[in-house]
Amino acid sequence: MGTLATEFRNAYNNGSGPGLAAVLTPIATRDDPDRLLTFYNFSNPAYLTKDLNTSFFHGKNPRVPKAEQHAWVDIFAAYWEAVGEILKWEAGHPGASAVAIFTAWKKVANAVIRGYSIQSGLPAWSLPCLYTVGKYLRTFAIKADLQVASQGSSGLDFQDDVAADFEKNATLEDAARVINRMFTLCLSDRAPIEESRKWGIYNTTNLLFKTYFKINSVGLTKNLIRAIRAQSDDLPPLDAFPKSHIVTFEYYLGVIHFLDENYAEAEEHLTNAWRLCYRHANKNRELILTYLIPCHLVTTHTLPSNQLLAPFPRLEKLFRPLSNCIRTGDLVGFDKAMSAGEEEFVKRRIYLPLERGRDIALRNLFRKVFIAGGFEEAKDGQPPIRRTRVPVSEFAAALRIGTHATGRTRVDIDEVECLLANLIYKGLMKGYIARERGIVVLSKNNAAFPGTGV
Amino acid sequence: MNSSVPWREARWPAPAPSAAPVPFQTVPSLFSANGFTPATPAYIPVQARRSLAHNKASHPATNGYPSQPAMPSTESDPRPRMEFPPAVRSYVQRCFAPENQVASVDTKEMQEKLRFVITDAAENHKLEMIDWERLALPQVMIQNERNKILANPSVSNWGMSSQPSSPGDASRKRKSTDIHQTENSPPWRKANNNRNRIEDRVTHPSTEKRPRMTTDDSSKSKANLEMRRRRFEGAGATYGNSGTSSPVDSPARSEPDQGPVIGRCQKLEKNYFRLTSAPNPDTVRPLPVLRKALDLLKKKWKQESNYTYICDQFKSLRQDLTVQHIRNEFTVTVYEIHARIALEKGDLGEYNQCQTQLRVLYAQSLGGNPTEFKAYRILYFIYTRNWTAMNDALADVTAADKKNEAVKHALDVRSALALGNYHRFFQLYLETPNMGAYLMDMFVERERLSALAAMCKAYKPDVNIRFITEELGFESDEQTARFVLDHGPAELLEERNGSVRLLTGKAGLVFEQAKAEAHRVVDIKGQI
Repeated sequence: MGTLATEFRNAYNNGSGPGLAAVLTPIATRDDPDRLLTFYNFSNPAYLTKDLNTSFFHGKNPRVPKAEQHAWVDIFAAYWEAVGEILKWEAGHPGASAVAIFTAWKKVANAVIRGYSIQSGLPAWSLPCLYTVGKYLRTFAIKADLQVASQGSSGLDFQDDVAADFEKNATLEDAARVINRMFTLCLSDRAPIEESRKWGIYNTTNLLFKTYFKINSVGLTKNLIRAIRAQSDDLPPLDAFPKSHIVTFEYYLGVIHFLDENYAEAEEHLTNAWRLCYRHANKNRELILTYLIPCHLVTTHTLPSNQLLAPFPRLEKLFRPLSNCIRTGDLVGFDKAMSAGEEEFVKRRIYLPLERGRDIALRNLFRKVFIAGGFEEAKDGQPPIRRTRVPVSEFAAALRIGTHATGRTRVDIDEVECLLANLIYKGLMKGYIARERGIVVLSKNNAAFPGTGV
Repeated sequence: MNSSVPWREARWPAPAPSAAPVPFQTVPSLFSANGFTPATPAYIPVQARRSLAHNKASHPATNGYPSQPAMPSTESDPRPRMEFPPAVRSYVQRCFAPENQVASVDTKEMQEKLRFVITDAAENHKLEMIDWERLALPQVMIQNERNKILANPSVSNWGMSSQPSSPGDASRKRKSTDIHQTENSPPWRKANNNRNRIEDRVTHPSTEKRPRMTTDDSSKSKANLEMRRRRFEGAGATYGNSGTSSPVDSPARSEPDQGPVIGRCQKLEKNYFRLTSAPNPDTVRPLPVLRKALDLLKKKWKQESNYTYICDQFKSLRQDLTVQHIRNEFTVTVYEIHARIALEKGDLGEYNQCQTQLRVLYAQSLGGNPTEFKAYRILYFIYTRNWTAMNDALADVTAADKKNEAVKHALDVRSALALGNYHRFFQLYLETPNMGAYLMDMFVERERLSALAAMCKAYKPDVNIRFITEELGFESDEQTARFVLDHGPAELLEERNGSVRLLTGKAGLVFEQAKAEAHRVVDIKGQI
C-alpha cells in the first residue's frame, strides 16, 4: 500500500493522468512484480476505507475537495477487492473465477463513473483512469465469457441453466453497457472544453467499437457515430486529439464504411488512419492495409506494390497471388486464387470487393488483345495508329487462354460480348460493339483503355 | 416512457441513494405475510384478499396491479418489519437507474420481475446467499427469457429423421404444395382422431369464463379478434382473482422462468394473437394437436389457397411451438412450409422471419432441407442487397453445400451479378431449382434494367430486339418491346428490314435512370 499510495500522491500532485491510470492498472509491473500483493496485504475490509483515506490524503493534500477524496477512496476500495480476486485467480485458489474478477472490476468501473458524474468529482485530466478501467473491463469480460463457455453454465441461482449460443457473449455485452455509460459520460460533459471530459470521447468510442465488433453487433456502432456527429459542433477538431485515439477511430470508421460498400468514404478514413499510424506499429498497419488494399482495388484500380507488402508476410500471402493474376490478366489464375483464399477473405469480409478485381484482370487481358492486334498501315509518314477495329472472336480466343479448351468449355460469343459491354459500361474500355459486323470499334488516340497508356 | 415514476404507485423502493429501508418493508407483507404464494407476478391479487381479511373498506378493483391500498393495510400488519441487506437495496437501486433501463421492457414488467426475484429470495431465505452484485437485473432477465423463447426452445431429442428432398420438378417453379413431405401420418395418429372428442368433454376450471372457440373462429372478422382478446384478458382475470385457484391452474404463471408452458388446447385452428403476457396453457395446443393442425392447414392450402388465413394460422402454430419450447423436426417442417408458402405469395417479410428461425434450427441438425434454404437465403440477400448479411451467408456455405445443385446455382447467380455478367445471370434465371424463381422474380426486372443500361452504352448504333429477348430471358419479342415501352417513349424502337431495333443512343439515359430508381434500397417489413 505504501508504494501504491506514494505513486498515487506523486501522480496526483504532478497532475499526471497516465500516472494515475498506471496506479489503477490491475497488473504487476516488471519493476514491482509483487505490486498487487503488497497493496492487497496492506489492509483488510474493516479498515480499508480508513487506510485509503489516511495514506492517500493525509497531510499536505489540502487541495483535493472532499467529494473527490471520497470518490478516489471508493474507487480504490473497489480496486482493492478486485485485486483480491485477481490474486486468488493467479494463485489458483479454488474459489477464484474469471467471472468474479469481472464482477469485482465492474464495481471499479462503476465507482469511476460515479466519481466523474458527481459534483466536483474527478477532474477531466484524470481521464486516462477511465480508459484503463474500461480497457480492463473488456479484457476481463472476454475472459469471463470464455470461462462460462468452458463450464457450460453460469451457475447463477435465478437463471435458467441452459447456456445458449446467443449468451456466449453475455458478460461482454454487460461490459459494453458499462462502457457505453463511459461514452455518454464523456460526450455529455458540458464543462468548458479545457477541462471537459469530451477529450475522452474518441478513446471510449474506440473501446465500444472494439466491443461491438467482438460481439458481432457492428450495427450498434452507427448509434455512436450518429451521437458524435450530433455533437460535432461542440467537439474540438479531430487533429486536436491525441493521434493514438484518432488512428483507431479512423480505422474503425473506415471499416464500418467498408462493410457498407461505401468504398470512397472507407478509403478516405483508412487513408487517414494509415497516415497517422505510428510507423512501427506493424500490427495496426497490417490491419489498416487489409481493408485499404481492397478499397484501392475498387476505387482506383490500383494494386499493392512489392515494397508496400514486404514488411507484412501475412498480407503478402493474402494479396500477392491475386494481384499477380490481375496484373497479367490471368483469369483462370484469378479464379483459382479467389477460391483458394475464399475462407480467409470471407472471414475478413473482403471477399466481395476483391471479387471485383476480376474486371481489372479482364481489362488487362483484353488490353493485351488490343496491343497484339498491332498497327494499321502507316499513311504518308504519319505515326502509325493501332488497329482499333478488333473482331469479337479475338477477345473470345483470349478468354480461352489457360482453360483446357474442350468442346464443353467453349466460350459463348454472346457472353464475350456481355463481358465487353460491361467493361465499356464501367468505363474500363472506350468504344462500342457493332454487333452485326462482329467487331469492337475502339477509341483512337491512345484512349481505348483509359489510364493504361493505350 | 411514462415519466410519472410508476414505481411509487406500486410501492417500490425508492432508487435514490438515500433510500431508507422503509419502502422495502412492504415487500414481504405483500407476498408472504398472508401465506400467499406469488402465483402470478403479472396479476397480484393481494389487495383484494387483504381488503377482505383486514380492511373492510373495499378498494375499487384495479386492473390487476397493486396500487395505493397496499400501504395502509401494511401498517396494520402485525408482522415484524424486515430489513433488507444493503446488497439487495443497491440491487433495487440499480434496477431503477436510468442507465440500466431497457427500452423493450417497460417499468411495470421490470417491477413485477423484481418483485418476484426479491420475494422468492426472501421466502426461501436466500437473501444472503445470492450474489446480488452479479445477479442480472430484472429487465435483463426478461429480455433473456424473451430471447430464449425466440432463439432457444429446449432441444428435444425427438429424432433426427430428415425429410428426403423431393426429386426435381420438371416445371421451373415448384408450388409449395408440390413439396413432398413425410407427413403421411402414422396409423396410430389417424386412429386417434376421435380422441379429440373425448378431450373436448374434459372441463377445465375456467372454461365458463371464456367464450367457446367455435369452428368458424377461422374467419377473420374483427369481432372474433375482439372476442379472442377478451378471452385472454378473461383468463388472466381468473388467475388474478382466484385465491383458491389450484396450482394446476397456472403452472406456467407461477414460475415464469421455470420452463415452458404445456398446452391443453385441443382446437386445430387458432387465430394468431400477439402475446402481451405469459401464455395461457388453455389456449396453447400441445404437439400432437399441432401435428394434426399442420395436416389440416396443408389440406386447406391445397384446396383454398387463402393466404391471409394460412399465414395467420401458421403464425399461431409457430407461436404455440415457441411458447412450449418445442424444437424438433416438426418445428423445422412448420417453418419450412410457412417459408415456402410465403415465398410463393411474395410475402418476404414473413419469409424472412421463417428463414431466420430456420437458420438457428438447422444449426442444431434437426433435419429439414438446409441446402434448399441456404440457397434461398443467398438469393434473398441478393434481392435486399444486404452485403454484410451476404458475407455471413457465404461464410455459412460449406464445401459439401457447394456440391448441392441449389446452393451452387445461388452462388453462381450471386457471382454473375457481382460481375455484371447478365448473359450468365439470365441463363441461370431460366434454370432455377426449387422455388428460387419466386425470389429471382423479385429482382429480375431490376437486373434487366441494369443490363439494358450497359447494352445501350456498349452497342451502337442500335440493337435487334430479338437479341435482347434472348439475352435477358424475355419470353417473346413482344414482351421485350412492352418492357422497353414501359420505361421509355415509343421513339426508342424502330422497325427496319422486318426487325424491331432498339436505338441505343437514345435509350441509354432512360435505362440509366430507371436502373437507379430500381436499385434503391429494398425495405421489407419484418426484416431483421
